[in-house]
Formats: sequence, C-alpha cells, structure tokens
Amino acid sequence: MLQRSAPPSRPTRSSVLFLVRFGAFLLALYLVLAVRPVDAAVVLPFTGLVARSSAAILNALGESVTVAGTEIRSPGFAVQIENGCNGLETVLLYTAAVLAFPASWTRRLLGLLLGFIAIETFNLIRVATLVWIGSHRPALFDASHTILWQSLVVLCGVMLFLLWASRARGARARDTASGGAAR
Amino acid sequence: MTTAARAPLAALCRALAGFLLAIGFWYLMRAPYDRLLANAGELLLRAVESPPVTRLTARGGEILVARADFPPAAPQPGLPAADLHFNVAILAALFALDRHPLDASRVAALLAAGILLFLVHVVALAFDVRSLYATGLGPWSAARYSPLARNFWAGGFHFYEVAGRFAAPFAIWWPFRREPDEPSGGGGRPRKRAA
Repeated sequence: MLQRSAPPSRPTRSSVLFLVRFGAFLLALYLVLAVRPVDAAVVLPFTGLVARSSAAILNALGESVTVAGTEIRSPGFAVQIENGCNGLETVLLYTAAVLAFPASWTRRLLGLLLGFIAIETFNLIRVATLVWIGSHRPALFDASHTILWQSLVVLCGVMLFLLWASRARGARARDTASGGAAR
Repeated sequence: MTTAARAPLAALCRALAGFLLAIGFWYLMRAPYDRLLANAGELLLRAVESPPVTRLTARGGEILVARADFPPAAPQPGLPAADLHFNVAILAALFALDRHPLDASRVAALLAAGILLFLVHVVALAFDVRSLYATGLGPWSAARYSPLARNFWAGGFHFYEVAGRFAAPFAIWWPFRREPDEPSGGGGRPRKRAA
C-alpha cells in the first residue's frame, strides 16, 4: 500500500541548504558592492540615475525639483540618495535568494532581470513619494523613510522572489513529471 | 478571477495587513523593547570585554553608550534604536502570508522566530557599539583598535545596515514557512491518505 509522505518530514535539509547558499551569496554580493572601485564605477552612477529618474517623475507630476549628483532639491527640501535608498539592498537580497534556489540558469537569469526592473520601479515610486513627503509633510519624513517605505521595498523583493520560486518549483515538477511519463 | 489567481493577491493583502498591524504594535512597544535590548546588549558586551566597562541606557529612541573608564562628564553617544529592530514588522508580514496565520502553531512559530530575531538585534547592537568604539572616538579608537579590527567591527555593522537587517527576518522565517498546499496543522479537516 502506498501512503502519502507524512507532512512533518518537511524539507528541512533543503531549507538549511538554501539558507547556507543564500547567506554565502548575500555576503559575496555585499562584498562586491562594498569594494570602493565598484562603488565608484557602478553604485554611485546608478544612484545618480535613480535621483534623476525620481526627479523626472516628480517634475512630470507638477513638482519643481532639481538634481545635483545624487541630491534631489525642491524649494523647501533637499535629500541625498544614498546606499539603502537606491534599491540595491533589496536587489542584493532578491539576487542572493534567486541564486540560492534550485532552478535552471535560464529561469534564474529571467527572474533576476524581471525582478531587478520591478524592484527598481517600486523604489523609484518610493524615492519620489519620499521627496514629496519631505517637501509637503516634513514631520512624516523620518518614519516614512526607513521604517515604512524601506520595509515595503524589501517586502516587494521577498514577494517577487516567492512568486518566482513557486513558478520555478512548478516548472521543475512539470519537467520531472514529463520525464517520468516519457520513460 | 480564478482561485489560483486570487491566492497570491490574498496572500499579499494578508502580508500588508500583518505589516501594518506589526508597525502599530512595534510603535507601541518600542520603548520597553529598547530597554530590553540595551540590557541584553550590555550583558553581551560586558561578557566579552575586560574589564567590563560598557553601560547601555535606552532613552528617547536612542541607546546611549557610556563607559565606566571615561570621565562622568564625557558625552554619551546615542545609537538610533529603531534602525536596529524595525525589521520585526517584516517578520510579521512574512508570517501573515500563511493562509491561517492565527493558528496556534503559526503563532507559536512566530514567537519562536521573534526570539531568534531578538538575538540578531542583540548581536547587531554589540556590533554597533564596537563599531563606534573602533571608528567613532578619534584618537582613543586609533590607539586601541588595529586597522583590521576597525574594518571587522565597522564592516560587520555596515553589513547589517545594508543587507543583514532585511535578510534576517527572511532567513528566520524561511524554515518556518508553510507551503500553500500543506495542511494547516489544527482545526482543518484531516486529509485523506492515498491508498
């Protein structure tokens, strides 16, 4: 008699393996981004792009902001876009999770590309909203800046990963089933 | 909309609701939590320093750092406490993704995960304080910390700031998560076994 495998025998080993790989990728990616030449050649220009794109969104919405390097200035408020505000910390987390999860490289690369675009788009909304809050409701800026918006961007990254992982798992199950049927 | 399409949307709504509830709870509880964290951090720091001189006090959303070997009138640097522990809301949001987040087993799992996250906060606070000692006190820091030690403590805390504080709730939640097709553990109808 065949019996369904008992639920308590959870994939503990695969969970631990995933976490070990996730931690290793996260540390490695962090070290790459923290190196000064990478910071100067990639992170800073990218942060400037985030600042310019956010300013373009705000100006299109009727605000009057200017950009100097990575700083966005409105008539009564200025904010410096720094590490942690450019969305790269969430991209780091998402990338480490996608690389740690068992899937084909094609699926991983597609997931990384789409995830990067989605996270950075969400982050642009965050930065534009924060500049607006800083200009019009400065008392709410601090709480919105780190606690609310940063958490929401991270949650967006985690949700995207979970969505991607469920599809990757489904594709793997289909591949296994079709492989079994072919035999 | 099909059931399959509604499931991720429902999970997203639960996560947002869990996040907002957790933010409210965190806001109400952060002052006592700061005190608990300061006491635990002080215990950890004094356990590894010789002689034990660090004194941590929570006040006004900051953790004030004092040392018994500094003059009593010396300024006490303050470390922002919220930056260390607001990620508790992320943990709660992840647990709220579950279809039955209020099941006893899920609440117990959330509490266990919360304790693990508290330990992460204590270690992060210790790194924050040691990073301050190693890099923030001018000639005093330079005389007592080698370049390697300065990089270790400051780099360790920077890692927490950039990646660790967001990765920690996710990594703690991951082993506790339940797949959507897993039984809820209690209350629900028992599943039939395939024969």
